[in-house]
Amino acid sequence: MIAGAFLLVLGITGGILAFEPELDRLLHPHLSRVKPDVRTLSLVQIGEAASMKYGGEPVVAYLPSSSPDVPTEVILSSGVVSVNQYTGEVLGLRTRGQTVLGFMRALHIRLATGDIGRNILRWSTVLMLISLASGLYLWWPRKRIRIRGPWWSRLFWSDQHNSFGIFSLLPLLLLTATGIVIGFEDEVSSLLDKMYGTNPAHSSQTPARSEPSQGSTELTPDQAIAIARAQLPGALPYRLQMPRYGGLYVVSLAYSDNRIAAERNSISLDPRNGRIVAVNQSASLTPRERFLATNEAIHTGNILGMPTKIIAALASILLPLQVVSGLLIWIRRTNILRRG
Amino acid sequence: MNRTIAVVTLLAASAMASDLTGKWSGTFKVDGGDHTVPQLFILKQQGKTLSGSGGPNAGEQYPIENGIIDGDEARFELTTGEWKFAYDLKQTAPGALSGTLKLQSVNDSRNATVSLTRSKGN
Repeated sequence: MIAGAFLLVLGITGGILAFEPELDRLLHPHLSRVKPDVRTLSLVQIGEAASMKYGGEPVVAYLPSSSPDVPTEVILSSGVVSVNQYTGEVLGLRTRGQTVLGFMRALHIRLATGDIGRNILRWSTVLMLISLASGLYLWWPRKRIRIRGPWWSRLFWSDQHNSFGIFSLLPLLLLTATGIVIGFEDEVSSLLDKMYGTNPAHSSQTPARSEPSQGSTELTPDQAIAIARAQLPGALPYRLQMPRYGGLYVVSLAYSDNRIAAERNSISLDPRNGRIVAVNQSASLTPRERFLATNEAIHTGNILGMPTKIIAALASILLPLQVVSGLLIWIRRTNILRRG
Repeated sequence: MNRTIAVVTLLAASAMASDLTGKWSGTFKVDGGDHTVPQLFILKQQGKTLSGSGGPNAGEQYPIENGIIDGDEARFELTTGEWKFAYDLKQTAPGALSGTLKLQSVNDSRNATVSLTRSKGN
């Protein structure tokens, strides 16, 4: 019953988080949409517009527009600025700090607390897996998939629990199993490394250059992006880290047709001469990284795009209903037994 | 006797609040996080101002912003991109800094504990 309370939290927050990016845009409509035009400004111009508006703060990174009607974002130390990439109009600044969606995420991952909350939730998912297996065991002899009786009757809730349970079983099993992997990621990673003999220290390349460039750079952000795009044809840049912040230009790119670790491509460039210092590609992920990325894509529903996101959200929202109906059945059964 | 105690106390206090200039390495762990994250700082102290850079390793360093020293306490910030790191550290022993870290993005805010030691040979 106590685990049920935590599963309620996981279900409700999971249903909301399945559409986190979409909800985030809905909550900030004035920062999320622009009218497409023909001419696009350079990143330098966009960065200057953002920086000038907010006291000359240096640009930390750019988040180039992912779609013609989505603004380009500029990361400053004080927050993220949305800029119309066609006109240079600064649409606004999102300051740093926890939002409602951030709190939902914190609840989903760690009950908005620390290690205790995280441990409670990860063990609740293990109990959830046992509960799903026992549910299937109890359903199997009767194979009930219809709902009878008035809503206040025990029969109604029993039928609802059985019917909704069997239809949501597969997505809930997937969400639970992948949630367990996320909850026990360190342990799973160690296991995978033992199986595949991967040294975690070698799983990503570290750029060779060691000193950050503090002065002016010869290469512009737009040139850095052009070099990176030529290196990975077909991939779209979604982030550019400025060399003052990290020592190198780091261009992150994503393949739109790849939903597993699609965004894990990056090119690191020397800002002085455009030399490519490091290349990280999603195609060269280690078995551990690929497994964890696939697991995450299944858990978030991103694996097949919108259809699987909807399934993940529906299954998550059904979870609280199953917990409540299971509780009602248990209470009524207990009352009947007490009455003899 | 009292004078000796006062001198010893003053010497201990000045040792604790020694110049932070140099390389510092260690880790931070976010509350409810999976694992520890490596940290490497190259600090430069000038009076009560702290500058330099920090990051996960020597190849990935971010400039220190708003760095101040207040007695045996050091406060500074780093922006790595989506996340801003605000450190609030204290010299707990000669060559040792520990304290808290607040990480903030535009959606999220998390707390972490940090532990650093002065790297040998600097």
